[in-house]
Amino acid sequence: MNELTLYEEAMCCATGICGPDPDDELVAVSAALDQLEDEFDVEVTRANMQHDIDQFLETQRIYDLVQEHGPSILPITVLDGEIVAKSEYPSYDELTAELTRNRNQSQEA
Amino acid sequence: MGERTAPRELVEPSGEDTEFVFFSGKGGVGKSTVSCATATWLADNGYETLLVTTDPAPNLSDIFGQQIGHDVTEIDDIERLSAIEIDPDTAAEEYRQETIEPMRELLDDEQLETVEEQLNSPCVEEIAAFDNFVDFMDSPAYDAVVFDTAPTGHTIRLMELPSDWNAELEKGGSTCIGPAASMEDRKAQYERAIDTLQDAERTSFAFVGKPEDSSIDEIERSADDLGELGIESQLLVVNGYLPETVCDDPFFEGKREDERTVIDRVESEFSEEAIATYPLQPGEITGIDLLSDVAGVIYDGAEATVNVGSTSETDAGSAIDFDSLADSDAVAEQLQPVDGTRYLFFTGKGGVGKSTVAATTATKLAESGYETLIVTTDPAAHLTDIFGETVGHEPTSVSQANLDAARIDQAQALEEYRTQVLDHVTEMYEDKDDTEIDVEAAISNVEEELESPCAEEMAALEKFVSYFEEDGYDVVVFDTAPTGHTLRLLELPSDWKGFMDLGSLTKGAAPENGDQYEEVIETMQNPEKSSFAFVMYPEYTPMMEAHRAAEDLKEQVGIETSLVVANYLLPEEYGDNDFFANRRAQQQQYLEEINDRFDAPMMLAPLRQDEPVGLAELHAFGDDLTGLSGVLKEQKGVTVS
Repeated sequence: MNELTLYEEAMCCATGICGPDPDDELVAVSAALDQLEDEFDVEVTRANMQHDIDQFLETQRIYDLVQEHGPSILPITVLDGEIVAKSEYPSYDELTAELTRNRNQSQEA
Repeated sequence: MGERTAPRELVEPSGEDTEFVFFSGKGGVGKSTVSCATATWLADNGYETLLVTTDPAPNLSDIFGQQIGHDVTEIDDIERLSAIEIDPDTAAEEYRQETIEPMRELLDDEQLETVEEQLNSPCVEEIAAFDNFVDFMDSPAYDAVVFDTAPTGHTIRLMELPSDWNAELEKGGSTCIGPAASMEDRKAQYERAIDTLQDAERTSFAFVGKPEDSSIDEIERSADDLGELGIESQLLVVNGYLPETVCDDPFFEGKREDERTVIDRVESEFSEEAIATYPLQPGEITGIDLLSDVAGVIYDGAEATVNVGSTSETDAGSAIDFDSLADSDAVAEQLQPVDGTRYLFFTGKGGVGKSTVAATTATKLAESGYETLIVTTDPAAHLTDIFGETVGHEPTSVSQANLDAARIDQAQALEEYRTQVLDHVTEMYEDKDDTEIDVEAAISNVEEELESPCAEEMAALEKFVSYFEEDGYDVVVFDTAPTGHTLRLLELPSDWKGFMDLGSLTKGAAPENGDQYEEVIETMQNPEKSSFAFVMYPEYTPMMEAHRAAEDLKEQVGIETSLVVANYLLPEEYGDNDFFANRRAQQQQYLEEINDRFDAPMMLAPLRQDEPVGLAELHAFGDDLTGLSGVLKEQKGVTVS
């Protein structure tokens, strides 16, 4: 089981469907994550600073990064303890590549 | 009528557990009085009782003759009774601060401000308001807790979401209703509170209303809304009917008959509920004696005392000086277009006659030759009744030349919004090369998200904003929804704009609607283009509520009040007795106070025997409203050049 965690900026709605216009990027990210959960053995967790501040305070690495760079460093994407993206959302393709690599590595091992 | 004591059975605690009584009703119907009377009656009957008021203009201090405030305070003169006054704004602010506190460690002031702005949303305010109830729904020290307000169906639905959306929360996702983490902590408490609300043995829901069809209609709607959530309203208090003895002319006899018809209707339609009635009093109800009179009538089946009092203390001879209070030219100036289309907003609580005043104004403006559109955003809209012609979702003309009318249909607006969002999302995927994405699954996700209560709010807003783009009208008159809702609706554009500017909702390109909202806000803030009229009747609570709403509008959206409409002024030619002399003196006193409190011209509107229906009656009524004839006169010089 892989663990994929997204640390995101304070926001109203992670799904992007909240407000006069849907947020394209968030809509796409939400859909991509859902699909990845179906396709790979991965558990996705999304933490945004407004709703899940505890996870920021308790994860030293993330805490340090945000303190040093400010929230512009977000979103931070962590796959099995390794930071795979900073300051922007990885695309579906990028995440697929990472997850495939992980799967192959674990098969080789 | 052997059911006289039914209210008693409902309200009186029957078991070991604390029991709760909630009173719903619009401001000015006597809800506080009935709540105070109920709490006092329970205490007098041996129950340890707590009275919780969330009235923004609480007058418990006047009623009980002692300072109460934000802490539970024992009432000196009444054994076993304690009370607390909660300020809803303070409560919302406290909630925000609690949420922000843990973030202080990680974020600097500027970033914190961003989060704070986000928490300035209507949903957060509703959560905070619900917290007020929840905090006191675990009060084992009391036999009974009486609340002078009740959560609405909308609020309860919002609070039920945490349990419905459990899965969503566990996934670490969040909802548009706010801080999931803090809601998670309180989830068990919320669930218990909702269970208790739905338990008819422990909780009574009561409505207080006036003997008017619009008041009863509104109660029926709220009751249905609660009924869908498994909460049955059990008690209905019809307050303020005209006592028979004081109606000694055709005008008031006619009014009394109309009220009788409404009370008959209530008795047939609310057959399941216990119904109690209490008469209009010549003065305002204050003091403990009057509370016990009210409680006696409702719970012990006693006869009401109507103490007409003497007119000696008031200057009964002085008629309301309409001319000195109402400046026709100043009013007319606020109604006519100066620079492009003029937007007129009529706002006020349900039952103040807002729709009628708005429709009359629209009719008069159209008669003068201005191309006029009247739009109601009130879900309880009765423009069709007022015009005596069908008014639909899209602007259509009514028989009056130059006049169109429309009524925003909530369901249809929601459908339009859903289509718009789904089209947008579909289009977005069409532009993407990322063909690996299962577009259908993504879209059905979005569809699911659109089921939330926030989507309804957004849909209404979208529709509202669209009327600013209607071309070809000189004047657009908004017969807006009741004040609280209106404010939320009106505030939303600037709230969302705030979100957008902060870039926290959208990190990418500027959203296409941003500029449109900015324009709408600017238009609303520009006194040359928009006029905000607060409609009220000259009594304490309606005046205070309107004033508070006007202050909010100024502080939060930067909009100044342009007009004050004082409706239902007692006519001089009828009601020639001490009872009405006292009522008139009271109205006069509040008219002066309204004039002092609001820095805006006053439009005065008389009480009518029947509400005007149809264009001919609206036309006639318009002649009695300050400033409307002025519109007609001046218009000649201005018109279609």
